Amino acid sequence: MSEEKKQIEQIRQSFQTAFAGFVHLHKEIKDLTLADAESYQRELAELKTKHTGKKSELANSKKLIGRVAPEERGAFGSFVQSIEREITTAIEEAETNLKNFIADAKIERERLDVTLPGTQPREGHLHLLTILRQKIEDIFVSMGYSIEDDREIETDYYNFDALNIPEGHPARESQDTFYTTNGFALRSQTSTVQIRAMERRGVPIRIIAPGRVFRRDTPDLTHTPMFHQIEGLCVDKNITMAHLKGTVGEWLRRLFGKETRIRLRPSYFPFTEPSAEFDFSCFKCGGTGTFESERCRPCKGSGWIELGGSGMVHPNVLRACNVDPQVYSGFAFGFGLERMCLLMYSLDDIRLMFENDVRFLEQFR
Amino acid sequence: MNISYNWLKDLVKIDLSPQELATKLTSVGLAVEGIHEAGDDFVFDIDITSNRGDCLSHLGVSREIAAITNAQLRIADYDSQKPANDRNLVSIQDADLCNRFTARVIHNVKITHSPEWLVKRLEAVGERSINNVADITNYVMHELGQPMHSFDLNKLSENRIVVRRARTGETIKTLDEVERKLDETMLAICDAKKPVAVAGVMGGFDSAISDETTHVLLEVAYFDRANIRQTSRNFKLSTEASHHFERGVDIENLIRASNRATELICELAGGTAGEFVDVYPTKFTPNEIESEDIQFAVKRLTGLEVESNEILRIFAALGITFAIRTPKTTTFTTPSWRHDLAIEEDLVEEVARIVGYDKIGEELPSAFGAGEYQPTESRKKSLRRTLVNLGFNEAISYSFIDTRHDERFDLIPSFVVENLDEKYVSLEDSIIEGATRMRPSLLSGLLDAVRTNLNHQRRDLKLFEIGKVFSASEKENDLPNERELFALVLTGNETLQNKAMPLREFDFYDAKGALEAAASAMNLPALDFHPKDVSHLRRGQSAEISLGGKAVGTIGRLNDEISAAYKFRQPVFVTEVDLETLLEAKEKTILYQPLPVYPSIVRDVSLLVKRDVSFADVQRTIAEQKFELCRKIEFVDVYEGAGVADDQRSITIRLEYRSDERTLLEEEVETIHGQILKVLETNLNAKQRF
Repeated sequence: MSEEKKQIEQIRQSFQTAFAGFVHLHKEIKDLTLADAESYQRELAELKTKHTGKKSELANSKKLIGRVAPEERGAFGSFVQSIEREITTAIEEAETNLKNFIADAKIERERLDVTLPGTQPREGHLHLLTILRQKIEDIFVSMGYSIEDDREIETDYYNFDALNIPEGHPARESQDTFYTTNGFALRSQTSTVQIRAMERRGVPIRIIAPGRVFRRDTPDLTHTPMFHQIEGLCVDKNITMAHLKGTVGEWLRRLFGKETRIRLRPSYFPFTEPSAEFDFSCFKCGGTGTFESERCRPCKGSGWIELGGSGMVHPNVLRACNVDPQVYSGFAFGFGLERMCLLMYSLDDIRLMFENDVRFLEQFR
Repeated sequence: MNISYNWLKDLVKIDLSPQELATKLTSVGLAVEGIHEAGDDFVFDIDITSNRGDCLSHLGVSREIAAITNAQLRIADYDSQKPANDRNLVSIQDADLCNRFTARVIHNVKITHSPEWLVKRLEAVGERSINNVADITNYVMHELGQPMHSFDLNKLSENRIVVRRARTGETIKTLDEVERKLDETMLAICDAKKPVAVAGVMGGFDSAISDETTHVLLEVAYFDRANIRQTSRNFKLSTEASHHFERGVDIENLIRASNRATELICELAGGTAGEFVDVYPTKFTPNEIESEDIQFAVKRLTGLEVESNEILRIFAALGITFAIRTPKTTTFTTPSWRHDLAIEEDLVEEVARIVGYDKIGEELPSAFGAGEYQPTESRKKSLRRTLVNLGFNEAISYSFIDTRHDERFDLIPSFVVENLDEKYVSLEDSIIEGATRMRPSLLSGLLDAVRTNLNHQRRDLKLFEIGKVFSASEKENDLPNERELFALVLTGNETLQNKAMPLREFDFYDAKGALEAAASAMNLPALDFHPKDVSHLRRGQSAEISLGGKAVGTIGRLNDEISAAYKFRQPVFVTEVDLETLLEAKEKTILYQPLPVYPSIVRDVSLLVKRDVSFADVQRTIAEQKFELCRKIEFVDVYEGAGVADDQRSITIRLEYRSDERTLLEEEVETIHGQILKVLETNLNAKQRF
């Protein structure tokens, strides 16, 4: 063997010795940690520079080609090339293996727990009463009603006299109505808006008046001294109780579904004649009184939910607003929003409405 | 009101099961709230509306049943004895309050326990048996609706009755053994000397029947409804008797009731009927209701088509009689037991409820016009929606608050009239202890809400409220001022949904930002914030808010004193603004601005300024120079601390330069930028930090 060839063999030997640690890598690579793999990668890079770089023995060995006899040069050149290929192939193979492994390992390491909560700003909640009020307003506006509101502190005239509740009437006794020290009444029903709106708008009129009302009830599970009512009023020529029933039915069906039925029961209110309470078939049990083979909660098993009062506007009320009861007739209805919330959500304590406990507020949307 | 099924069957023929009957009664307006079994009987719990005093008895309910089923009432006349008009036994001095008074003496009565049937009947309707005579009076009240009272005749001075207004200073110990002071607004039943009963409300203790009683005087009378109500309210004493009298009993039913009770007393207590006196100074006059066409009236108000024969049948069953006076009108006459029928509409209701409200159809009124929300509603909706999206929960608090909040908060500008003796609106008395003030501010309610939630370990809170506040009007007899305000409160940390780790603590700028977002949601022009001392806010962290030069509210950190009073141990930020005034501002008109064609050049600059130089000062100083090419002045950051003197801070701003005609050159920008820096230095002594 020529001296030169021997030198090449030595290069090969020394590479193989240095590379011994990487030979089995392709078999064992899957057991490496990412850190080990990266350190192998670094070592391999050094090894590559050392054995194949510009200043490597291999690079130097190319100069040997010129030194061999011309007739052997071809064979020797091929030999050097084959050794060079052998070395670079071995390195590249190891490099590729490591690179792929590291890439996979990194992806693996960055694998996410997709079950962690998303980054979501904390959202607030409208008050339950606002949610329901807006729904009901939307329905009535679409039916051609205008939304009205007015004063919360009223004169006796608007709170009582104009509503046909004369002096001496039980509803006027002060245990029901709050009075200010100046003798004004906190309105005890939103019917006051009927009068104010008819004075403002005249007739014909179709309005809904949601608002805050006050009664001297000590707070308990079903009472608060302040609550909200929605009052409806429609006055025109030829308005009958059938229109009352149809209108109440229509909005309740839009709120609770097509199957909802309406029931009017005779009752008594000073500002309507004839008067009626209005009930609707229970939204939960559909009027059967039984839900999931138990007594239905919202309707207490009766199948009917009693919601509010209604009737044909009393002629004295029309007269108070300068409307001729011989020419015009109208219906009015009213109900408590809190009571409706209680029924709809099976709430058991109406006082929660005004405690502003966010654990309560956040339950509704 | 408890009504026995078996008892009803004594008075009217009933072919309906208790269930069926309950449904029918409910459908005519006697709402049956429940049916309970009581031995072989069923008891209805009926909710009787206040206008139907006539239905507070089995007779009354039977009349309704007769009208529904067209059955005949089985009601005996008990007219065994006709009364005399003996002024010696009874005299009425105040006939305006006592329209009729009957008294019956029954001799040789033996007070003992009642027979079993009577005890059972009373128990069925929820009454406890006392003795035979008391039970009988009770029984007749439940049967015929007429309250009555039995006196021990021997305990009445001179054995006679005087019905008169009580005199101031007179007292009576009533059956409940309470000594009561009478006055001349009250009607008293007296003997020759003194009051022996509070008329229509409760009998006297000393004249009551006892086991020793042998001679009974039975009072069956009619009293003025309003007067009984007033007396009952004055004494805060509502009895079965007062309940009946104030709703109105049947003045023409007294003799029958007296005879019925007498008959039973004679039968069950072994008495013999003696003198019977009926003093009837104010004769009953029925209401007369004119109607041109009742059938048309029914149709006009209810849409029901009812045959006139059926209408007349209903009226007859209900005791309403009629006479055709002129060819055009019919006069209907109401029965003595119905105090609630006065106008044609009342008669319409009678027809409609007996025919059945379920027969009324469902119709929608014909189209009329477009519906509309309140003019401010769409902006308020945006306001609410924006705050909710920012994480605020909507609070609704009571309108009445405690007087201890007085003067605690600076109220919104020009709402309270300061020089009034009584600036606020107060309630005569309250239901919630201490809460007699109509709130002049929403803040007390929101701070109460914060307290409530902190108590429940909810420390990170954002709340807002929209509602009315109240103040006294300048003129005493004018209605109080009402104004709608908007307020918000925040405290604790910014947090994310479903993440326990807070992002950062809230500060003043969170409150300000929320308010600005709210104003922007309402499409308002920008709000201005000027530093201002506000009594409920911490000095140096408070501002007055104004819109177009008009002060509309305040914002800042709650001061330490109020925080301590509420036991808040973390900073709380509040703002309150006059929403009504904000909503009066016109919405900004939106005009399209052409998009920039040429690129802009941006320069950040940090300015070292004295602490009393505000960002607004910097902004204004630059804006005043009216550099056409300087398009935007943005806030970047503020720094104070290491490297900056104690009385200074560093404000970093970003200036954007742009032309609409060409691409700006660096040198042009450098020139303007340099001029700006110079102006800032000259006017504000602001030095460029880097």
